[in-house]
Amino acid sequence: MAQRTSTHSRATQKRHRSIWINLLTAVLAIVWILPIVWIVLTSFRAEGGAFVQYFVPKSYTFQNYVTLFNNPDFPFLQWFLNTLMVSAVTCVISTLIIIAMAYSLSRLRFKFRGPFLKIALVLNMFPGFMSMIAIYYILKAMNLTQSLVALILVYSSGAALGFYIAKGFFDTIPMALDESAMIDGATKFQIFTKITLPLSKPIVVYTALMAFMAPWMDFIFAKIILGDAIHKYTTAIGLYSMMTKTTQNSLFMTFTAGCVVIAIPITILFIFMQRYYVEGITSGAVKG
Amino acid sequence: MVQIDLEHIYKEYPKSDHYAVMDFDLHIQDKEFIVFVGPSGCGKSTTLRMIAGLEDISKGDLKINGEVVNDLPSKDRDIAMVFQSYALYPHISVYENMAFGLRLRKYSKADIDARVKEAAEILGLTEFLERRPADLSGGQRQRVALGRAIVRDAPIFLMDEPLSNLDAKLRVSMRAEIAKLHQRLNTTTIYVTHDQTEAMTMADRVVVMSVGKIQQVGTPAEIYDHPKNQFVASFIGSPSMNFFNVTYEDGRIHNEKGLNLQVPEGRAKVLENNGYNGKQIVFGIRPEDIHTENSFLQSWPDQVVNAKVVVSELLGATSQLYAQMGDEEFVATVDARDFHNPGEEVAMGFDINKAHFFDVDTTEAI
Repeated sequence: MAQRTSTHSRATQKRHRSIWINLLTAVLAIVWILPIVWIVLTSFRAEGGAFVQYFVPKSYTFQNYVTLFNNPDFPFLQWFLNTLMVSAVTCVISTLIIIAMAYSLSRLRFKFRGPFLKIALVLNMFPGFMSMIAIYYILKAMNLTQSLVALILVYSSGAALGFYIAKGFFDTIPMALDESAMIDGATKFQIFTKITLPLSKPIVVYTALMAFMAPWMDFIFAKIILGDAIHKYTTAIGLYSMMTKTTQNSLFMTFTAGCVVIAIPITILFIFMQRYYVEGITSGAVKG
Repeated sequence: MVQIDLEHIYKEYPKSDHYAVMDFDLHIQDKEFIVFVGPSGCGKSTTLRMIAGLEDISKGDLKINGEVVNDLPSKDRDIAMVFQSYALYPHISVYENMAFGLRLRKYSKADIDARVKEAAEILGLTEFLERRPADLSGGQRQRVALGRAIVRDAPIFLMDEPLSNLDAKLRVSMRAEIAKLHQRLNTTTIYVTHDQTEAMTMADRVVVMSVGKIQQVGTPAEIYDHPKNQFVASFIGSPSMNFFNVTYEDGRIHNEKGLNLQVPEGRAKVLENNGYNGKQIVFGIRPEDIHTENSFLQSWPDQVVNAKVVVSELLGATSQLYAQMGDEEFVATVDARDFHNPGEEVAMGFDINKAHFFDVDTTEAI
């Protein structure tokens, strides 16, 4: 009897705990999702004005999206395509650089490998925009300011230091697999393409996603490099340029519509790439 | 036909002040099954990896068929290797795992298929060909690793402790399987293990290693019956050989713990000719050469000592008596019928014809 009571109370305790945990996650979920819901709702709001006292719009319209793509002063479509282009190219270049860096630092042994890893770690601790003035002058000297090529250069060259996560992943792939492939007759490149890469899909996908997202998010570099070349703008600075004193009230809903539109490619990419985030792909390689 | 010559090979790791492998000199004949055995850290795996081309050779020459291959990459050495950790490719099926090396070497599709299926047949893997390594048991994975090595038909097999991850029962059956495989394929094999039973049961020749050096090379019987030094004598055999520090004097060995035995004439002559009369030597005797049965005690009354049994283990057919003579402990493996309880004083006969004598300083056999 006593035993039954104790199991009973333990079950109640367990239920209580799970209620609290669920409650907490629910609150967190609301806190996270609320701004997004607000942006989406506002982008469909028919009545104007940046500052209104209510959350749910009184009436809805699609006009904000139409204005977004048809305003000659703020060529959003152009910005969107600019960003997409910069992102796609950066994504490819950065991913190649990062994966190559990570693989060689994980698998090859050479002089100064140790010191290099340490230096890279320290360099990683400085925020990238610390170098913006220097970068601006370098680009200016090369006559590259106000160009998208400069953006691609800046984003991709910053990538080389981002190899740590991918290296950590490669380190978990047993060396015995490389050795085994070597004895099977594979060259270093074949080991990389036929063994390491297929086993590293999650990290390659992660690296690519991060590299793709950087240009969508970056404001500082785009702002200083592109200056006032409105037609070269990326979405981040383009959208911000809508928020001037004179336009911020009239274009507010269009601005939020822009925010929703730029989230779309990233969301689609995430959904599409998500299935590669599979765990435990190396299980069964070594030992039991 | 393949011949492997390891000529005075040394291995030194960077930032280490001593050699991991020293003066390794061995000539391996075609179709031989060679086992490197020794305690962990003795350099046996390092030597194997140098043969495989996975480690650089610091000094000395490695020759395959008379040609120095020190700087030849693994893939061009035409060897197959089974790793301790299996090292199967987890993202492809068993079939593809076995076919991997063949595809890289551009074998035809039909040839690959035939080879993989034949190997699978030999190893009983036919029904698992489409599975991934993660879906197999330890024993099956081990067989895939073997399969991957045999499809290549490479003239040299290297095996790096292939059975050490398996449970005891599976290990015994895989041991027999590997031995069978060698009889069938007749491939020159170098097998690394720390398990002396594997070494004794599988090898044509055993290479006993310790601290980077070869201690002895020989057939299992030679190694067991005529160990070259105290290390080999103690490493091979289970339970290991008993050693006593004794003084040899005029045909007898004795110590202050109560040991006093007559040495047979032939052995005594050898000891005397080598100038050991009146000197300290190490006397070694295997547990199974110590007897408690009456017939022995009566026939050799001169070779009997009295000892106290401390622990006794009944193993079915035999029993092991851990005994004490003075404060010196030793083990005797006797017939199960001669079981004695702990605490009993027992007369034990030492079969001195089977005794081993070692120099105290050099630990070499006399």
